[in-house]
Amino acid sequence: MAYVNFVKKYKLEIAMVLPLLLYILGFTVYPIIQTITLSFQDQYTKAFTLANYKEIIGKTEFKNAFFNTIALTFISLTLEMTAGLVIALILKRNFRGKGLLRSLMLVPMGVPTLVSGVAMTYIFGLNGYFNELLEKLHLIKLPVDWASGGFKTLLMVSVADMWKVTPLVILLLLAGLESIPDEVYEASNIDGATAWQTFKYVTLPLLKPSITMALILRAIDAFRIFELVLVLAGRATPVISTFAYDEYNNYANAYTSAAASTILLLIIAVFIVSYLKIAGTKEEQ
Amino acid sequence: MRKIDISEKISNTAYIPIAIIAAILMIIPVYILFITSFAVPSDILKPHPDFFITRFTLDHWKDVFLSGNIWPPFKKSFVVATMTTIIAIIIAAPAAYVIARMPSKIKYAVVLSLFFTRMFPDVGIALPIAVEFIKLNLMDTYLGLVMAHLIVNLPFAAWILVGTFETIPKDLEEAALVDGTSKLTALMRIIMPIALPGIAVTAIFVWLNSWNEFTYALYLTISDRTLPLQTYYYVQRGGIFDSATYAAILTIPVMLVTFFLQKYMKSGYLAGAVKG
Repeated sequence: MAYVNFVKKYKLEIAMVLPLLLYILGFTVYPIIQTITLSFQDQYTKAFTLANYKEIIGKTEFKNAFFNTIALTFISLTLEMTAGLVIALILKRNFRGKGLLRSLMLVPMGVPTLVSGVAMTYIFGLNGYFNELLEKLHLIKLPVDWASGGFKTLLMVSVADMWKVTPLVILLLLAGLESIPDEVYEASNIDGATAWQTFKYVTLPLLKPSITMALILRAIDAFRIFELVLVLAGRATPVISTFAYDEYNNYANAYTSAAASTILLLIIAVFIVSYLKIAGTKEEQ
Repeated sequence: MRKIDISEKISNTAYIPIAIIAAILMIIPVYILFITSFAVPSDILKPHPDFFITRFTLDHWKDVFLSGNIWPPFKKSFVVATMTTIIAIIIAAPAAYVIARMPSKIKYAVVLSLFFTRMFPDVGIALPIAVEFIKLNLMDTYLGLVMAHLIVNLPFAAWILVGTFETIPKDLEEAALVDGTSKLTALMRIIMPIALPGIAVTAIFVWLNSWNEFTYALYLTISDRTLPLQTYYYVQRGGIFDSATYAAILTIPVMLVTFFLQKYMKSGYLAGAVKG
């Protein structure tokens, strides 16, 4: 009875939320369940099987993709967080031309991810601008083939990813920096702390929640990286998501593709749970 | 008077040069993209490409526009983005209003779940969608792509709009209800007009997301490419000047909008948003 009354009282509200809810259930939650189901199905008999997982885990490409995903996340995050923190600290200062500089720092946000990949192919091409710069500086004699695989390709993709998302990290950290009250800095100034001490004992600890949030959010995004790798590294350096696409598109095997996607899903779920834990403890404070 | 230590000296003198170098690095890829689209081939296609070009040509742009290969993808991207935006706002705005008026505990949970739907890998969602769409003959269609782009944009739009509606005081609609108007009229006449600027900004972001979207378009396309896919097609074929020109055409609206809407790029909007 209470249930009927609730529906009667809030029928307008329910009608307003329902389309969104149904769409998300039908087009996000249900497909995810389908992907997981698919990954455990036999291609022909549809019976429960672990064969899809066995098949991809046995593939060298998948091992590479898995390793590349982890390595890429690690390198990208290190680069992005360092650059983001340095620039955020600079933008917190007051100086002439700060507004303009801030706008320039945000330029990559106005560039589609795919396009940033395209631009990077000109920079990291065999006869690209980066090799040209290195040659001019006499650091290399022969041009480096950045897309040939291995560590240098990972580094190239990381730099491309870093370029695209550092603005986002800057904004996240700047928001954190701006929430630190000025009094804290005045106090550390009066105590005669050096700039380094202030940074290490005041700024960094107070910024820790923002840094942790930015790290987890960026890690989730880094695991899902797709377009950049597809454009820059192609099939030579797969990550889990491009591997999953490859299985579906080039080998026409939706089942192994689903298995790879499910593994990616699992990794991301772990990070979402850790985000919730941290967001939860922040809420309580 | 406290003495100035070395770390402070370094940070006080180095911050401007570092900032300038960082700003330059942020612009270089865009600069290279645009000069490539305007360069004479012999200035770029050589072992030591010129960083500053003196000879400009409109040939690549002319080629792209005269080839007839740009209009179908352009139209597809434009129509899909516009349709996605309209439907996303129609579905997400009322829902966001209701969510914004929920008790704060439930609201927090709902907003968080909206946020997390955007955290799942697109390849995992696009796969069963593509399998299903093949059966339903929705591959290559506008409708199929709009439906797929809504997956990305509905939670995103609702998420931003909850923030917009939260800032509108509850008293306004309560006063209207006391005056005897119905809930629906109060909503349409009072709340929506106040929320309009926020809705407009959201609509623009949704449009851009759809305009840039790559993964779903890739899964759901066999022959009728969108503009990002057309760009990727030339990247794969090694058409440097074609891909540079297509990429530039793709970027211009995005850059203009991001530049003018910079003040809305707060951390709240960001996490799942601007990253494509």
